[in-house]
Amino acid sequence: MSGGGPVRPYVITGGRSRPTRTELAFESLVVALADRPELPEHALLNREHRRILDLCHSLLSIAEVAAHLGLPLGVVKVLVGDLWDLGAVQVLPPVPQAERLPTTLLEEVLVGLRQLR
Amino acid sequence: MASANSADPVAGPPAAPQYLPPSVQGAVKILVTGPFGVGKTTLVGSLSEISPLRTEETMTAASSGVDDLTGRGGKTTTTVALDFGRITLNPRLALYLFGTPGQQRFWPLWDDLSRGALGAIAMVDLRRPDESFDVLGRLEEQQIPFAVAVNTFPDTPSYPEEELRSALDLLPGAPILYCDARDRRAAYDLLIDFVDHLYRTSVLEPQR
Repeated sequence: MSGGGPVRPYVITGGRSRPTRTELAFESLVVALADRPELPEHALLNREHRRILDLCHSLLSIAEVAAHLGLPLGVVKVLVGDLWDLGAVQVLPPVPQAERLPTTLLEEVLVGLRQLR
Repeated sequence: MASANSADPVAGPPAAPQYLPPSVQGAVKILVTGPFGVGKTTLVGSLSEISPLRTEETMTAASSGVDDLTGRGGKTTTTVALDFGRITLNPRLALYLFGTPGQQRFWPLWDDLSRGALGAIAMVDLRRPDESFDVLGRLEEQQIPFAVAVNTFPDTPSYPEEELRSALDLLPGAPILYCDARDRRAAYDLLIDFVDHLYRTSVLEPQR
């Protein structure tokens, strides 16, 4: 979403069940930006948005945010999507998976597991 | 609140969050699936660097039949518990392991869960292999790369591999692995063998 129009008020998710960014996954990583832009007056962040910002001072996945805040995964995806639109968080999408499974990615996973074994 | 896997060891209440190193740039995931009580959370717990966490997803499904999610009438909402764990593989990359209920009624969740997954470990309890038919069929249908992991309970019967493969009606591409899910070392060997299988397959068939 762009254009800086008025941001609509929310209840929790304002009745939305789909995130505005479809690329958010359960394993997407979220971190609140330390120098986030001043949020406009009318950006009515609700309590859950603020809890996410507080929790994510360091890197966690969407799934971990949901578990720690006791919110359903689908709700967290929507709320993180809002914060992302506002430029308040950085989201690291899961490593992109094209039709081809990148062999180098699997190799990296394998090497990592063997070292931890 | 309906919980999909309450017979598995309970993932505790979340302790203080354990953050990823700031150098991490992305994450991949592997599903751990199988029927109720097969040991999914146990396996995730043996592998995870954090205590397994439990989260919930609401699932809207038609109350009769499974596929008609767009139908107007007869919808029910169920809460499904998902347990998951995490392994930081190196300073840049993390791996999430999602315990994913394998029964047909949870399939509405599978699109979200399986998108982008490297593959799935399908756990089987040989004392009740028929309970795994649903999920094995689903994995083949969705063309998710998978391996069968036989959880070796003390009284697990043993069968020759060919007999087992035919009993489970497995396609030749899916390996059968064995593991005591409670044992960290065995769980790691299982995961390594599985990823090694994915890697070899990907080298051989780059067009997959």
